Amino acid sequence: MQEQISAFIDDELSAEECAFLVRRLERDPPARGRLIRYSAIGAVLRGELVHAEPSLLRRRLQEELNGTGLAEKSPAPQAPRARKFLKPALSAGIAASVAVVALFSLKAFNSVDVEQNATLAKDAVQGDGWSEPASYVVPQEPTSRSVVSPPIRLTNYLINHSEYTSPLSRTSVHSNVVGAADPGANDAGSDASGANVSYESDDPAEAM
Amino acid sequence: MVKLLGKTIVMLAAFGAANAFGQSAQAWLDRMNRTVEELSYEGTFVHVFGGTAETLRIVHRNSDGRIAERILSLNGIGREIIREQGEVKCILPDRRMVLLLQARHHSSSLATALPSYSEKLIPYYKFELYHTERVANRLTQVVGIKPKDQYRYGYMLWLDEKTAMPLKSQLRSETGKIVEQILFTDFKPSSQIPESALKPSIDTTGFKWFRPPQKWAGKNSDKKKPIPWRASLLPKGFSLAAFTERPIAGSQYPVDHLVYSDGLATVSVFIENPKSHTDVTEGFSTLGSTNAYSLTINGRKVTAIGEVPRRTVRQIASSLIPE
Repeated sequence: MQEQISAFIDDELSAEECAFLVRRLERDPPARGRLIRYSAIGAVLRGELVHAEPSLLRRRLQEELNGTGLAEKSPAPQAPRARKFLKPALSAGIAASVAVVALFSLKAFNSVDVEQNATLAKDAVQGDGWSEPASYVVPQEPTSRSVVSPPIRLTNYLINHSEYTSPLSRTSVHSNVVGAADPGANDAGSDASGANVSYESDDPAEAM
Repeated sequence: MVKLLGKTIVMLAAFGAANAFGQSAQAWLDRMNRTVEELSYEGTFVHVFGGTAETLRIVHRNSDGRIAERILSLNGIGREIIREQGEVKCILPDRRMVLLLQARHHSSSLATALPSYSEKLIPYYKFELYHTERVANRLTQVVGIKPKDQYRYGYMLWLDEKTAMPLKSQLRSETGKIVEQILFTDFKPSSQIPESALKPSIDTTGFKWFRPPQKWAGKNSDKKKPIPWRASLLPKGFSLAAFTERPIAGSQYPVDHLVYSDGLATVSVFIENPKSHTDVTEGFSTLGSTNAYSLTINGRKVTAIGEVPRRTVRQIASSLIPE
Protein backbone atom coordinates (compact mmCIF):
# COMPACT_ATOMS: atom_id res chain seq x y z
CA MET A 1 0.00 0.00 0.00
CA GLN A 2 2.82 2.35 0.94
CA GLU A 3 4.54 1.72 -2.36
CA GLN A 4 1.29 2.37 -4.19
CA ILE A 5 0.84 5.68 -2.42
CA SER A 6 4.42 6.66 -3.22
CA ALA A 7 3.92 5.71 -6.86
CA PHE A 8 0.62 7.64 -6.88
CA ILE A 9 2.36 10.76 -5.56
CA ASP A 10 5.11 10.34 -8.10
CA ASP A 11 2.50 9.98 -10.85
CA GLU A 12 3.72 6.52 -11.76
CA LEU A 13 0.39 4.68 -11.61
CA SER A 14 -1.74 3.87 -14.61
CA ALA A 15 -5.38 5.02 -14.72
CA GLU A 16 -6.53 1.53 -13.66
CA GLU A 17 -4.08 1.42 -10.77
CA CYS A 18 -5.17 4.92 -9.72
CA ALA A 19 -8.80 3.82 -9.69
CA PHE A 20 -7.91 0.73 -7.67
CA LEU A 21 -5.93 2.81 -5.18
CA VAL A 22 -8.75 5.30 -4.81
CA ARG A 23 -11.18 2.45 -4.03
CA ARG A 24 -8.80 1.23 -1.37
CA LEU A 25 -8.35 4.73 0.02
CA GLU A 26 -12.10 5.02 0.42
CA ARG A 27 -12.06 2.06 2.79
CA ASP A 28 -8.78 2.81 4.51
CA PRO A 29 -8.65 6.05 6.56
CA PRO A 30 -5.06 5.45 7.84
CA ALA A 31 -3.90 5.09 4.22
CA ARG A 32 -5.69 8.33 3.36
CA GLY A 33 -3.83 9.95 6.25
CA ARG A 34 -0.54 8.62 4.88
CA LEU A 35 -1.32 10.06 1.47
CA ILE A 36 -1.96 13.46 3.03
CA ARG A 37 1.26 13.31 5.01
CA TYR A 38 3.34 12.25 2.03
CA SER A 39 1.82 14.94 -0.14
CA ALA A 40 2.56 17.57 2.49
CA ILE A 41 6.11 16.27 2.98
CA GLY A 42 6.63 16.25 -0.76
CA ALA A 43 5.45 19.83 -0.97
CA VAL A 44 7.76 20.83 1.90
CA LEU A 45 10.71 19.05 0.34
CA ARG A 46 10.08 20.82 -2.93
CA GLY A 47 10.09 24.08 -1.01
CA GLU A 48 6.53 24.86 -1.98
CA LEU A 49 5.24 25.43 1.50
CA VAL A 50 7.65 28.19 2.44
CA HIS A 51 4.98 30.78 1.90
CA ALA A 52 2.03 28.47 1.99
CA GLU A 53 -0.36 27.80 4.81
CA PRO A 54 0.19 24.15 5.84
CA SER A 55 -3.01 23.87 7.88
CA LEU A 56 -5.04 25.15 4.95
CA LEU A 57 -3.32 22.69 2.64
CA ARG A 58 -3.94 19.86 5.09
CA ARG A 59 -7.61 20.82 5.43
CA ARG A 60 -8.07 21.06 1.69
CA LEU A 61 -6.44 17.72 1.10
CA GLN A 62 -8.46 16.14 3.89
CA GLU A 63 -11.68 17.56 2.49
CA GLU A 64 -10.79 16.47 -0.99
CA LEU A 65 -9.86 12.98 0.04
CA ASN A 66 -12.89 12.63 2.26
CA GLY A 67 -15.06 13.87 -0.55
CA THR A 68 -16.67 16.20 1.98
CA GLY A 69 -17.64 18.80 -0.54
CA LEU A 70 -19.33 16.23 -2.73
CA ALA A 71 -21.16 14.67 0.19
CA GLU A 72 -22.50 18.05 1.24
CA LYS A 73 -23.74 18.69 -2.25
CA SER A 74 -25.28 15.25 -2.64
CA PRO A 75 -29.00 15.29 -3.25
CA ALA A 76 -31.64 14.65 -0.64
CA PRO A 77 -32.52 10.99 0.08
CA GLN A 78 -33.94 9.24 -2.95
CA ALA A 79 -36.48 6.55 -3.24
CA PRO A 80 -34.99 3.13 -2.27
CA ARG A 81 -34.95 1.89 -5.84
CA ALA A 82 -33.30 5.00 -7.14
CA ARG A 83 -30.75 4.80 -4.30
CA LYS A 84 -29.94 1.21 -5.24
CA PHE A 85 -28.66 2.41 -8.59
CA LEU A 86 -27.37 5.72 -7.34
CA LYS A 87 -25.12 4.32 -4.62
CA PRO A 88 -22.54 2.65 -6.85
CA ALA A 89 -22.63 5.60 -9.18
CA LEU A 90 -22.11 8.01 -6.32
CA SER A 91 -19.37 5.82 -4.96
CA ALA A 92 -17.68 5.77 -8.34
CA GLY A 93 -18.19 9.51 -8.56
CA ILE A 94 -16.58 10.04 -5.20
CA ALA A 95 -13.73 7.73 -6.14
CA ALA A 96 -13.22 9.48 -9.42
CA SER A 97 -13.43 12.90 -7.86
CA VAL A 98 -10.98 11.94 -5.13
CA ALA A 99 -8.57 10.72 -7.76
CA VAL A 100 -9.06 13.71 -9.98
CA VAL A 101 -8.96 16.25 -7.19
CA ALA A 102 -5.95 14.63 -5.54
CA LEU A 103 -4.11 14.38 -8.81
CA PHE A 104 -4.98 17.93 -9.76
CA SER A 105 -3.99 19.20 -6.32
CA LEU A 106 -0.66 17.45 -6.57
CA LYS A 107 -0.17 18.66 -10.11
CA ALA A 108 -0.97 22.17 -8.98
CA PHE A 109 1.57 21.92 -6.16
CA ASN A 110 4.12 20.57 -8.58
CA SER A 111 3.50 23.13 -11.24
CA VAL A 112 5.25 25.87 -9.26
CA ASP A 113 8.69 24.44 -9.68
CA VAL A 114 8.38 21.70 -12.22
CA GLU A 115 9.63 23.78 -15.10
CA GLN A 116 12.44 25.24 -13.09
CA ASN A 117 13.44 21.85 -11.69
CA ALA A 118 13.27 20.25 -15.10
CA THR A 119 15.68 22.86 -16.39
CA LEU A 120 17.96 22.34 -13.43
CA ALA A 121 17.86 18.60 -13.87
CA LYS A 122 18.69 19.05 -17.52
CA ASP A 123 21.62 21.19 -16.51
CA ALA A 124 22.92 18.52 -14.18
CA VAL A 125 25.99 16.93 -15.61
CA GLN A 126 25.23 13.25 -15.05
CA GLY A 127 22.67 11.14 -16.75
CA ASP A 128 22.10 8.45 -14.12
CA GLY A 129 20.13 8.39 -10.86
CA TRP A 130 22.46 10.99 -9.48
CA SER A 131 20.84 13.70 -11.54
CA GLU A 132 18.84 15.87 -9.24
CA PRO A 133 15.24 14.68 -9.17
CA ALA A 134 12.74 17.04 -10.75
CA SER A 135 10.21 16.10 -8.11
CA TYR A 136 10.29 14.57 -4.69
CA VAL A 137 10.35 10.79 -4.57
CA VAL A 138 9.27 9.09 -1.37
CA PRO A 139 12.31 6.97 -0.53
CA GLN A 140 11.59 3.31 0.00
CA GLU A 141 13.09 1.12 2.66
CA PRO A 142 15.86 -0.97 1.10
CA THR A 143 14.47 -4.13 2.65
CA SER A 144 11.61 -3.48 4.96
CA ARG A 145 11.71 -7.01 6.35
CA SER A 146 15.19 -6.40 7.75
CA VAL A 147 14.14 -3.34 9.72
CA VAL A 148 14.01 -4.07 13.40
CA SER A 149 13.47 -1.93 16.44
CA PRO A 150 16.81 -1.18 18.01
CA PRO A 151 17.58 -2.86 21.30
CA ILE A 152 19.20 -0.67 23.91
CA ARG A 153 22.64 -2.14 23.26
CA LEU A 154 22.30 -1.20 19.61
CA THR A 155 21.35 2.32 20.66
CA ASN A 156 24.50 2.33 22.79
CA TYR A 157 26.54 1.27 19.76
CA LEU A 158 24.89 3.86 17.55
CA ILE A 159 25.66 6.75 19.83
CA ASN A 160 29.22 5.56 20.43
CA HIS A 161 29.63 5.15 16.69
CA SER A 162 28.31 8.65 16.03
CA GLU A 163 31.22 10.06 18.02
CA TYR A 164 33.53 8.93 15.22
CA THR A 165 31.49 9.97 12.21
CA SER A 166 31.38 13.30 10.41
CA PRO A 167 29.12 15.90 12.03
CA LEU A 168 26.73 15.44 9.11
CA SER A 169 26.45 11.70 9.74
CA ARG A 170 26.17 12.29 13.48
CA THR A 171 23.04 14.37 12.97
CA SER A 172 21.66 11.56 10.84
CA VAL A 173 22.47 8.87 13.41
CA HIS A 174 21.04 10.90 16.28
CA SER A 175 17.91 11.56 14.21
CA ASN A 176 17.57 7.82 13.70
CA VAL A 177 17.77 7.22 17.45
CA VAL A 178 15.46 10.07 18.41
CA GLY A 179 12.98 9.45 15.63
CA ALA A 180 12.87 5.64 15.68
CA ALA A 181 9.35 4.26 15.84
CA ASP A 182 10.01 2.10 18.85
CA PRO A 183 13.20 1.37 20.73
CA GLY A 184 12.53 -2.32 20.93
CA ALA A 185 10.98 -4.73 23.28
CA ASN A 186 14.23 -5.88 24.81
CA ASP A 187 15.30 -4.61 28.13
CA ALA A 188 18.42 -2.58 28.77
CA GLY A 189 21.76 -4.09 28.01
CA SER A 190 22.26 -5.74 31.32
CA ASP A 191 24.96 -8.30 31.76
CA ALA A 192 24.31 -11.96 32.39
CA SER A 193 25.47 -11.46 35.94
CA GLY A 194 22.62 -9.06 36.52
CA ALA A 195 25.22 -6.57 37.63
CA ASN A 196 23.53 -3.78 35.75
CA VAL A 197 21.75 -2.84 38.96
CA SER A 198 24.86 -1.17 40.18
CA TYR A 199 25.00 1.03 37.07
CA GLU A 200 21.51 2.33 37.14
CA SER A 201 19.95 4.84 39.42
CA ASP A 202 16.51 6.23 39.84
CA ASP A 203 17.95 9.41 41.17
CA PRO A 204 18.78 11.81 38.35
CA ALA A 205 20.79 14.02 40.66
CA GLU A 206 23.03 11.12 41.59
CA ALA A 207 23.38 9.98 38.03
CA MET A 208 24.24 13.44 36.76
CA MET B 1 51.59 20.07 -35.26
CA VAL B 2 49.43 23.11 -34.76
CA LYS B 3 46.38 20.84 -34.60
CA LEU B 4 48.07 18.65 -31.96
CA LEU B 5 49.06 21.70 -29.94
CA GLY B 6 45.52 23.00 -30.19
CA LYS B 7 44.08 19.68 -29.02
CA THR B 8 46.55 19.57 -26.12
CA ILE B 9 45.62 23.10 -25.04
CA VAL B 10 41.92 22.25 -25.21
CA MET B 11 42.47 19.05 -23.20
CA LEU B 12 44.58 20.83 -20.58
CA ALA B 13 42.00 23.59 -20.31
CA ALA B 14 39.24 21.03 -19.89
CA PHE B 15 41.24 19.12 -17.29
CA GLY B 16 42.05 22.34 -15.45
CA ALA B 17 38.42 23.41 -15.46
CA ALA B 18 37.27 20.01 -14.24
CA ASN B 19 39.89 19.99 -11.53
CA ALA B 20 38.99 23.49 -10.39
CA PHE B 21 35.34 22.46 -10.37
CA GLY B 22 36.11 19.42 -8.22
CA GLN B 23 38.28 21.40 -5.84
CA SER B 24 35.58 23.95 -5.50
CA ALA B 25 33.08 21.26 -4.45
CA GLN B 26 35.58 19.97 -1.92
CA ALA B 27 36.19 23.47 -0.61
CA TRP B 28 32.44 23.78 -0.05
CA LEU B 29 32.43 20.46 1.81
CA ASP B 30 35.37 21.42 4.01
CA ARG B 31 33.54 24.63 4.85
CA MET B 32 30.43 22.60 5.63
CA ASN B 33 32.38 20.27 7.92
CA ARG B 34 33.67 23.18 9.97
CA THR B 35 30.30 24.92 10.02
CA VAL B 36 28.30 21.96 11.24
CA GLU B 37 30.59 21.69 14.25
CA GLU B 38 31.68 25.29 14.89
CA LEU B 39 28.62 27.39 14.08
CA SER B 40 26.04 28.07 16.77
CA TYR B 41 22.56 27.65 15.40
CA GLU B 42 18.99 26.58 16.00
CA GLY B 43 16.69 24.92 13.54
CA THR B 44 13.86 22.55 12.76
CA PHE B 45 14.28 19.78 10.25
CA VAL B 46 12.31 16.93 8.74
CA HIS B 47 14.03 13.56 8.72
CA VAL B 48 12.61 11.27 6.04
CA PHE B 49 13.42 7.61 5.73
CA GLY B 50 11.53 4.74 4.15
CA GLY B 51 8.35 6.72 3.65
CA THR B 52 8.20 7.92 7.24
CA ALA B 53 8.97 11.44 8.36
CA GLU B 54 9.86 12.86 11.75
CA THR B 55 10.15 16.52 12.66
CA LEU B 56 13.09 17.31 14.89
CA ARG B 57 14.50 20.37 16.58
CA ILE B 58 18.25 20.98 16.84
CA VAL B 59 20.13 23.45 19.01
CA HIS B 60 23.89 23.56 18.48
CA ARG B 61 26.15 25.82 20.51
CA ASN B 62 29.86 26.48 20.21
CA SER B 63 30.97 28.40 23.25
CA ASP B 64 34.72 29.00 23.02
CA GLY B 65 35.27 25.59 21.51
CA ARG B 66 32.99 23.78 23.93
CA ILE B 67 30.38 22.13 21.77
CA ALA B 68 26.92 21.37 23.07
CA GLU B 69 24.03 20.01 21.06
CA ARG B 70 20.45 19.00 21.68
CA ILE B 71 18.24 17.12 19.23
CA LEU B 72 14.66 16.39 20.14
CA SER B 73 11.73 14.86 18.38
CA LEU B 74 8.80 17.26 18.01
CA ASN B 75 6.25 14.55 17.43
CA GLY B 76 5.68 11.00 18.52
CA ILE B 77 7.29 10.02 21.76
CA GLY B 78 9.58 13.02 22.13
CA ARG B 79 12.98 11.46 22.63
CA GLU B 80 15.99 13.71 23.11
CA ILE B 81 19.76 13.46 22.74
CA ILE B 82 21.93 16.01 24.52
CA ARG B 83 25.65 16.05 23.85
CA GLU B 84 27.58 18.23 26.26
CA GLN B 85 30.73 18.32 28.36
CA GLY B 86 32.14 14.97 27.38
CA GLU B 87 28.84 13.21 27.79
CA VAL B 88 26.02 12.09 25.56
CA LYS B 89 22.64 11.77 27.22
CA CYS B 90 19.90 9.86 25.41
CA ILE B 91 16.48 10.34 26.99
CA LEU B 92 13.90 7.71 26.06
CA PRO B 93 10.61 8.78 27.68
CA ASP B 94 8.72 5.89 26.09
CA ARG B 95 10.86 3.50 28.10
CA ARG B 96 11.33 5.87 31.07
CA MET B 97 15.03 5.48 30.59
CA VAL B 98 18.15 7.62 30.20
CA LEU B 99 21.34 6.32 28.61
CA LEU B 100 24.54 8.13 29.53
CA LEU B 101 27.58 7.67 27.31
CA GLN B 102 31.04 9.13 27.18
CA ALA B 103 31.64 11.53 24.32
CA ARG B 104 34.78 10.98 22.34
CA HIS B 105 38.07 12.48 23.54
CA HIS B 106 39.21 14.49 20.56
CA SER B 107 42.69 15.03 21.94
CA SER B 108 43.64 11.40 21.44
CA SER B 109 46.44 10.65 19.03
CA LEU B 110 44.67 7.51 17.87
CA ALA B 111 41.40 9.22 17.15
CA THR B 112 41.02 10.44 13.63
CA ALA B 113 40.30 13.97 12.67
CA LEU B 114 36.90 14.78 11.25
CA PRO B 115 36.59 13.54 7.69
CA SER B 116 38.21 15.96 5.31
CA TYR B 117 37.46 16.12 1.61
CA SER B 118 41.00 15.47 0.45
CA GLU B 119 42.53 13.91 -2.64
CA LYS B 120 42.47 10.60 -0.76
CA LEU B 121 38.75 10.35 -1.47
CA ILE B 122 39.03 10.81 -5.23
CA PRO B 123 39.39 7.06 -6.05
CA TYR B 124 36.17 6.31 -4.19
CA TYR B 125 33.94 9.35 -4.70
CA LYS B 126 33.18 11.84 -7.41
CA PHE B 127 32.59 15.43 -6.27
CA GLU B 128 30.39 17.70 -8.28
CA LEU B 129 29.10 21.21 -8.00
CA TYR B 130 25.61 21.90 -9.33
CA HIS B 131 23.29 24.86 -9.39
CA THR B 132 22.02 27.16 -6.66
CA GLU B 133 18.56 26.80 -5.15
CA ARG B 134 16.49 28.19 -2.29
CA VAL B 135 15.91 26.02 0.77
CA ALA B 136 14.26 27.25 4.00
CA ASN B 137 14.11 30.64 2.29
CA ARG B 138 17.90 30.80 1.97
CA LEU B 139 20.07 30.50 -1.11
CA THR B 140 21.99 27.22 -1.27
CA GLN B 141 24.70 25.68 -3.41
CA VAL B 142 24.02 22.09 -4.46
CA VAL B 143 27.00 19.74 -4.13
CA GLY B 144 27.11 16.04 -4.99
CA ILE B 145 29.33 13.31 -3.58
CA LYS B 146 28.85 10.24 -5.72
CA PRO B 147 30.29 6.88 -4.64
CA LYS B 148 32.24 4.94 -7.23
CA ASP B 149 31.34 1.47 -5.93
CA GLN B 150 28.67 -0.36 -3.97
CA TYR B 151 30.44 -0.24 -0.63
CA ARG B 152 29.58 3.32 0.33
CA TYR B 153 26.81 5.85 0.09
CA GLY B 154 26.99 9.31 -1.38
CA TYR B 155 25.32 12.61 -0.67
CA MET B 156 23.48 15.35 -2.45
CA LEU B 157 23.84 18.45 -0.31
CA TRP B 158 22.18 21.86 -0.41
CA LEU B 159 24.68 24.12 1.39
CA ASP B 160 23.70 27.53 2.69
CA GLU B 161 25.59 30.13 0.65
CA LYS B 162 26.39 32.22 3.70
CA THR B 163 27.38 29.57 6.22
CA ALA B 164 27.80 26.31 4.21
CA MET B 165 25.34 24.67 6.59
CA PRO B 166 23.63 21.68 4.89
CA LEU B 167 20.01 22.83 4.83
CA LYS B 168 18.99 19.81 2.84
CA SER B 169 20.86 16.54 2.47
CA GLN B 170 20.07 13.31 0.73
CA LEU B 171 21.96 10.14 1.48
CA ARG B 172 22.04 8.22 -1.79
CA SER B 173 23.05 4.79 -2.93
CA GLU B 174 25.55 4.17 -5.70
CA THR B 175 22.70 4.17 -8.23
CA GLY B 176 21.34 7.45 -6.95
CA LYS B 177 18.44 6.00 -4.98
CA ILE B 178 17.53 8.22 -2.03
CA VAL B 179 18.13 6.37 1.22
CA GLU B 180 17.44 9.21 3.64
CA GLN B 181 16.66 12.91 3.54
CA ILE B 182 17.12 15.70 6.02
CA LEU B 183 15.49 19.03 5.26
CA PHE B 184 15.61 22.15 7.39
CA THR B 185 12.33 24.03 7.38
CA ASP B 186 13.73 26.65 9.69
CA PHE B 187 17.38 27.56 10.31
CA LYS B 188 18.81 30.41 12.32
CA PRO B 189 22.50 31.01 13.08
CA SER B 190 22.64 32.45 16.56
CA SER B 191 25.54 33.59 18.68
CA GLN B 192 23.33 33.82 21.76
CA ILE B 193 22.01 30.39 22.65
CA PRO B 194 20.95 30.32 26.29
CA GLU B 195 21.81 27.46 28.59
CA SER B 196 18.11 26.74 28.95
CA ALA B 197 17.87 25.81 25.25
CA LEU B 198 20.17 22.87 25.93
CA LYS B 199 18.24 21.54 28.90
CA PRO B 200 15.94 18.55 28.42
CA SER B 201 12.26 19.36 28.17
CA ILE B 202 11.38 16.00 29.70
CA ASP B 203 11.08 15.51 33.43
CA THR B 204 13.22 12.44 34.05
CA THR B 205 12.12 11.93 37.63
CA GLY B 206 11.62 8.24 38.19
CA PHE B 207 13.46 7.25 35.01
CA LYS B 208 16.07 4.51 35.09
CA TRP B 209 19.53 5.81 34.38
CA PHE B 210 22.00 3.55 32.61
CA ARG B 211 25.58 4.74 32.62
CA PRO B 212 29.09 3.40 32.30
CA PRO B 213 30.58 1.78 35.41
CA GLN B 214 31.96 4.29 37.87
CA LYS B 215 35.53 3.02 37.36
CA TRP B 216 35.42 4.43 33.83
CA ALA B 217 34.34 7.90 34.88
CA GLY B 218 36.64 10.55 33.44
CA LYS B 219 38.96 7.99 31.85
CA ASN B 220 40.25 8.57 28.37
CA SER B 221 39.17 5.42 26.61
CA ASP B 222 41.19 6.32 23.52
CA LYS B 223 44.42 5.41 25.28
CA LYS B 224 47.00 3.38 23.43
CA LYS B 225 46.90 -0.39 23.89
CA PRO B 226 47.48 -3.35 21.64
CA ILE B 227 44.75 -3.85 19.08
CA PRO B 228 43.46 -7.39 19.57
CA TRP B 229 41.35 -7.71 16.40
CA ARG B 230 41.51 -6.76 12.76
CA ALA B 231 39.20 -6.95 9.75
CA SER B 232 40.94 -9.12 7.20
CA LEU B 233 38.77 -8.20 4.21
CA LEU B 234 38.10 -4.49 4.01
CA PRO B 235 36.40 -2.79 1.06
CA LYS B 236 38.86 -0.70 -0.94
CA GLY B 237 39.80 2.56 0.69
CA PHE B 238 38.81 1.59 4.23
CA SER B 239 41.49 1.44 6.88
CA LEU B 240 41.64 1.39 10.66
CA ALA B 241 41.11 4.91 11.92
CA ALA B 242 40.76 4.37 15.64
CA PHE B 243 40.67 1.74 18.35
CA THR B 244 39.25 2.22 21.82
CA GLU B 245 38.09 0.16 24.74
CA ARG B 246 34.77 1.76 25.61
CA PRO B 247 32.43 1.45 28.52
CA ILE B 248 28.84 0.66 27.67
CA ALA B 249 25.95 2.14 29.60
CA GLY B 250 24.37 -0.56 31.73
CA SER B 251 27.20 -3.08 31.35
CA GLN B 252 30.09 -3.81 33.67
CA TYR B 253 32.21 -5.00 30.75
CA PRO B 254 33.71 -2.59 28.24
CA VAL B 255 33.64 -3.30 24.53
CA ASP B 256 36.48 -3.13 22.04
CA HIS B 257 35.59 -0.51 19.45
CA LEU B 258 37.37 -0.50 16.10
CA VAL B 259 36.66 2.34 13.68
CA TYR B 260 37.24 1.86 9.96
CA SER B 261 36.94 4.75 7.56
CA ASP B 262 37.55 5.59 3.93
CA GLY B 263 37.91 9.23 4.94
CA LEU B 264 34.20 9.94 4.61
CA ALA B 265 32.16 6.85 5.46
CA THR B 266 32.77 5.32 8.86
CA VAL B 267 32.11 1.81 10.12
CA SER B 268 32.36 0.94 13.81
CA VAL B 269 32.98 -2.61 14.95
CA PHE B 270 32.05 -3.47 18.53
CA ILE B 271 33.43 -6.64 20.09
CA GLU B 272 31.81 -7.68 23.33
CA ASN B 273 33.42 -9.36 26.29
CA PRO B 274 32.58 -13.11 26.26
CA LYS B 275 30.91 -12.71 29.69
CA SER B 276 28.70 -9.92 28.49
CA HIS B 277 25.11 -10.60 27.59
CA THR B 278 23.77 -8.44 24.77
CA ASP B 279 20.34 -8.08 23.27
CA VAL B 280 21.61 -7.55 19.74
CA THR B 281 20.14 -10.04 17.30
CA GLU B 282 22.51 -11.87 14.96
CA GLY B 283 22.28 -10.90 11.31
CA PHE B 284 21.24 -7.57 9.86
CA SER B 285 19.60 -4.72 11.73
CA THR B 286 18.60 -1.41 10.25
CA LEU B 287 17.87 1.85 11.97
CA GLY B 288 17.13 4.57 9.50
CA SER B 289 20.09 4.90 7.21
CA THR B 290 22.35 2.98 9.57
CA ASN B 291 22.98 -0.68 8.86
CA ALA B 292 24.36 -3.18 11.34
CA TYR B 293 25.47 -6.78 11.08
CA SER B 294 26.10 -9.02 14.10
CA LEU B 295 27.62 -12.44 14.47
CA THR B 296 29.55 -14.43 17.05
CA ILE B 297 33.27 -14.97 16.55
CA ASN B 298 35.31 -16.97 19.08
CA GLY B 299 32.53 -16.67 21.62
CA ARG B 300 32.30 -12.89 21.30
CA LYS B 301 29.41 -10.97 19.85
CA VAL B 302 30.73 -8.80 17.02
CA THR B 303 28.65 -5.99 15.51
CA ALA B 304 29.65 -3.76 12.60
CA ILE B 305 27.58 -0.61 12.22
CA GLY B 306 27.65 2.37 9.87
CA GLU B 307 25.89 4.57 7.32
CA VAL B 308 27.01 2.27 4.55
CA PRO B 309 25.27 -0.42 2.49
CA ARG B 310 24.52 -3.76 4.13
CA ARG B 311 27.20 -5.56 2.18
CA THR B 312 29.86 -3.32 3.72
CA VAL B 313 28.96 -3.99 7.36
CA ARG B 314 28.59 -7.71 6.67
CA GLN B 315 31.94 -7.96 4.92
CA ILE B 316 33.79 -6.09 7.64
CA ALA B 317 32.15 -7.95 10.55
CA SER B 318 32.53 -11.37 8.94
CA SER B 319 36.20 -10.85 8.21
CA LEU B 320 37.17 -9.98 11.76
CA ILE B 321 40.00 -12.12 13.16
CA PRO B 322 41.89 -12.02 16.45
CA GLU B 323 45.48 -10.76 16.14
